[in-house]
Amino acid sequence: MLKIRNGRDFVGGVTMICVGLLFIWFGRELQVGNSFQMGPGYFPTMLSLLLMLIGALIIVQSLMVETEESGPEAWNWKAYFLVILAPVGFGLLLAGLGLAPTMFLLIVGVATASRYANWRHSILLALFLAVCSVVLFTKLLSLPVSAFGPWIPFIGDLF
Amino acid sequence: MDIFANLWLGASTAFMPMNLFYGFIGCLLGTAIGVLPGLGPTATIAMLLPITFGLPPESALIMLAGIFYGAQYGGSTTAVLINLPGESSSVVTAIDGYQMARNGRAGAALATAALGSFFAGSVATILLAVAAPPLAAVALNFGPAEYFSLMVLGLVASVALASGSLLKAFAMIVFGLILGTVGTDVESGTPRYVFDIPELYDGLNFVAVSMGIFGICEILRNLESEHERSVGVKRVTGLMLTKEEFKRIIAPVLRGTALGSFLGVLPGGGAMLASFASYAVEKRVSPNRAEFGKGAIEGVAAPESANNAGAQTSFIPMLTLGIPGNPVMALMVGAMIIQGITPGPNVISDEPELFWGMIVSMWSGNLMLVILNLPLIGLWVRMLTVPYHLLFPAIIGFCCIGAYSINNSVFDVFVMAGFSVIGFALSKMRFEPAPLLLGFILGPMLEENLRRAMLISQGDPSIFVRSPLSLSLLIFAVVVLALVLSPSISRKREEAFTE
Repeated sequence: MLKIRNGRDFVGGVTMICVGLLFIWFGRELQVGNSFQMGPGYFPTMLSLLLMLIGALIIVQSLMVETEESGPEAWNWKAYFLVILAPVGFGLLLAGLGLAPTMFLLIVGVATASRYANWRHSILLALFLAVCSVVLFTKLLSLPVSAFGPWIPFIGDLF
Repeated sequence: MDIFANLWLGASTAFMPMNLFYGFIGCLLGTAIGVLPGLGPTATIAMLLPITFGLPPESALIMLAGIFYGAQYGGSTTAVLINLPGESSSVVTAIDGYQMARNGRAGAALATAALGSFFAGSVATILLAVAAPPLAAVALNFGPAEYFSLMVLGLVASVALASGSLLKAFAMIVFGLILGTVGTDVESGTPRYVFDIPELYDGLNFVAVSMGIFGICEILRNLESEHERSVGVKRVTGLMLTKEEFKRIIAPVLRGTALGSFLGVLPGGGAMLASFASYAVEKRVSPNRAEFGKGAIEGVAAPESANNAGAQTSFIPMLTLGIPGNPVMALMVGAMIIQGITPGPNVISDEPELFWGMIVSMWSGNLMLVILNLPLIGLWVRMLTVPYHLLFPAIIGFCCIGAYSINNSVFDVFVMAGFSVIGFALSKMRFEPAPLLLGFILGPMLEENLRRAMLISQGDPSIFVRSPLSLSLLIFAVVVLALVLSPSISRKREEAFTE
């Protein structure tokens, strides 16, 4: 009777097989060629097959080998959500708002992911980092991004 | 003597005021970040890479190298003072170092770490200067088949020496190799896995990928088990070693240096393995082994020398063969490519100023660390009191700007966000991210050499075993694999990593 003895590895193995399938699917139009004249699809396809093989071995191992179960893990969904969305928000707002307001919003927003955050500290830190990043990146390293973008017309004109 | 002329050339590059300055900044930043827990050297270098883009290649690499061994050094300071290793290679230093601090010998422990590191760094630098040119000369005769086999050996060995499940590490390497194929195929010009996104035609950017899977991912893990640190730091007094202590550290420092230099060259080796191994050796051979765990000065001297020696010699395969042995070196390779330098055996002859300048800067950087850090300990300790809830938003902000500045495009910021999700999901399934990055960096080189070799041999795979050099590299890879898979060794390996 087969029983999953190591759930985490079982999921890991299945994931690897799915990744292999995904790359084979998206690369289905690439020419594979043969070993003499390898097409652009040869290397990725072979690797995807190899990854699926390894995934299968991981699954087999997860059915055979018992592991001592480590305690339940802490999941902090609020933190994951904020920390992963922060760069996305940064990317979407940067062109419109400019560096300073984007940085400010990013810091204030992401700081709430911590259970020890308090608003006064976050806002002060955000102000400090917004000023620092403008000085360092737009002034000293002359990155092509303005401190205030077109969405903030009046202050933006001053800089 | 050639070597003196070369070192002279290096010195004239490394001691240029501008390069000294960037080396100094690198050491300072590296130490500062090494002191902060929850930010390893890989994430640090990935995060700070973008600010070196505007520098000339010599200064950029000197600064990055400075960050690397600065981080090494900073990690041991916190290990001794508050029993909190700033990064993985100083985990064992904390065992005896913290006990020494509790016995009122914090100053002696820090001085031992500094002296041991400096000695080991100097020896390893000389070793690098002596060993690199002949190795590069051998590598110049490598054809595509030899390169392919060498990379296979490198990848296999990096798995063997890493911790955790072998199968999973292999899965990560293969995944990394596949990710490396994203972008335009160099030989046919066919776009692969680009989904009509113009930014993807150049491939995924490795800085964005590594910031995602190392930098942001570490923050996610740290936030899971967040707790306020109460930092009770002992006052540091008495940096001088007594005569007897000095005598006690000589042999461990020598042993640590030798072991560290050797382990650093191996792929997948580097600083962490070196420090663990030398602590284990010291525990067996030291005449004072009864004191281990209770504040034995040997338990600080040996691993600190070993990790610094290992950190330094891990540059050897990177500089001579262009093959990174650990994620930090993978980032250095990436930095060189960005600077327009192709890493490999040609670097020594094509860019002698860069090559020798970097080697000499390692020595001068180590000297700076000794001179700088002992007086600055008060400052580092104060940095420890910065609470994490103020630190991590700053890291995220810096990563975002860093990712943006790679190509001045927000696309790389999205790539970073995407890879933080991938990295986090993988770490939840207990996959290590380090082999993924190695595979990702080596992927394009591996494919290119494979295809060239097969073209030369007209599709006959026996080309890899017909060349004696390639054959012996492959045999070596198989032996390494067999050794790791054999039951007795794999048990020892587990012990070594849990110890």
